[in-house]
Amino acid sequence: MTQHITLSSHDCQVTADSADQMRAFGARLARIVRAGDLIVLTGPLGAGKTTLTQGLGQGLGVRGQIVSPTFTIAREYPNLTGGPDLVHVDAYRLGSFDELDALDLDTSLDESVTVVEWGETVAHVLNDARLEITLARPVGELVGDDADLDGDAPRTISLHAVGPRWDGVQLTVND
Amino acid sequence: MISDEFARNHSRLSAVNEPLVLGIESSCDETGVALVRGQELLVDAVASSVDEHARFGGIIPEIASRAHLEAMIPTLERALSTADVDLGEVDAIAVTAGPGLIGPLTVGVSAAKALSLATGKPIYGVNHVIGHAAVDQLVHGDFPDEFLALVVSGGHSSMLLVDDIATGVRELGSTLDDAAGEAFDKVGRLLGLPYPGGPHIDRLAREGDPEAIRFPRGLTAAKDQAAHAYDFSFSGLKTAVARWVETQRAAGKELPIEDIAASFAAAVADVLTAKTIAACDRNGVDTVVIGGGFSANSQLREMAQQRCTEAGITLRIPPIKYCTDNGAMIAALGSSMVTAGVAPSALDFGVDSSMPLSITHV
Repeated sequence: MTQHITLSSHDCQVTADSADQMRAFGARLARIVRAGDLIVLTGPLGAGKTTLTQGLGQGLGVRGQIVSPTFTIAREYPNLTGGPDLVHVDAYRLGSFDELDALDLDTSLDESVTVVEWGETVAHVLNDARLEITLARPVGELVGDDADLDGDAPRTISLHAVGPRWDGVQLTVND
Repeated sequence: MISDEFARNHSRLSAVNEPLVLGIESSCDETGVALVRGQELLVDAVASSVDEHARFGGIIPEIASRAHLEAMIPTLERALSTADVDLGEVDAIAVTAGPGLIGPLTVGVSAAKALSLATGKPIYGVNHVIGHAAVDQLVHGDFPDEFLALVVSGGHSSMLLVDDIATGVRELGSTLDDAAGEAFDKVGRLLGLPYPGGPHIDRLAREGDPEAIRFPRGLTAAKDQAAHAYDFSFSGLKTAVARWVETQRAAGKELPIEDIAASFAAAVADVLTAKTIAACDRNGVDTVVIGGGFSANSQLREMAQQRCTEAGITLRIPPIKYCTDNGAMIAALGSSMVTAGVAPSALDFGVDSSMPLSITHV
């Protein structure tokens, strides 16, 4: 079923039952973002932050396989289709920095869509307007035999828009 | 009597066969400058800023750029004086053009371009990941006609099919999410170990039972063989470890940290080696080269040696100092390019932080 979500400062939630659905959500998100937008992704290890970003990157049409930015802190993906580039940041270790200048990015954030994981402590210095997305996964050990550890588990996606940029913006997702 | 022209041509020819190549590496936190003649390593000078990053729990790009800037000239001078080589004697300059961190890459590439302009010597902007395989020539001699390279590090996990390291490298697969070393660092974080987590997990794993907990092996199921036979995924494994640890903590149980480390390390080594051996079989290749910082991991080394021996595959892993980032790997790849007659890079090339493996040099 198709669901239309009007973004606002009130939290709204959708669910993704599998990694593919998380990527599909990211691809839907690609339809409403534009250059200069900031998305702050929050959620525990293994919540699906990079998976969502993979879908977003595919939707935007950027070059290359989107992988975890943790080791390099930031990865930049040039756009091959004329749209904005994607900047994917892991801010976990940037807590002590006031500005993201420390990232030494080549791409201008004004010309890119920027996704910041673990960004709650630094995002405010980046952009007053931002889309905050919080991912939650089930807690605790998976039950059943060992093979189930490989299986997908549902994720809850909570959306919280900050700033007038998002006024009236509608996101369409397939439930 | 030998004419001057003949002498000049002769010296040019010998330069192509046994070129003296300066290699510069600065893609991450090590500043590396090395000299290679043919495939003989003359000197490998490295300066690391890892201590400066450790207090932040990982590399901070801006700090790395500054450290490269400060270390570049002293490291170059050290390399030249140790090898007793004058810059004018160098036949070519090779430098990492990507992938890596933008700022650090720019420092190395700018230095290499300046040296190329000043000396008039050709410059080669090369792919860092392919350098991790190329370096093994310096240790174990010429490569066979065809081999499989597994490059594993904090930022990369890729499988390459190589028929010529300078001109014939094909990417078979790569990680779809976390690199092997990255997964180790994340699990280290989860277990409260200092950064970088890799060496700590390696040490703890040697004291634990690798079969204590059965963690998942990503992309090894039959259904994944069609599309992802050569790809890796360590994200699901990392999540499984996180959830297992959460459950233990919630139940107030003490964490069997050695067993977690051993079971996790075994899962990573199992996937890397099983897929590599299967790839050899599929492609009719009997030599494997493993490179990159994560090839220092002892669980991977042991399992790779055991499984390659069983499968009748020759395994080549350079000593650990050549597995981590260094100038020797870049000089070795540059030397192979000069010898193969590859045209040098135009002086206006830029760095490429996400350079794909389809590009061996720019």
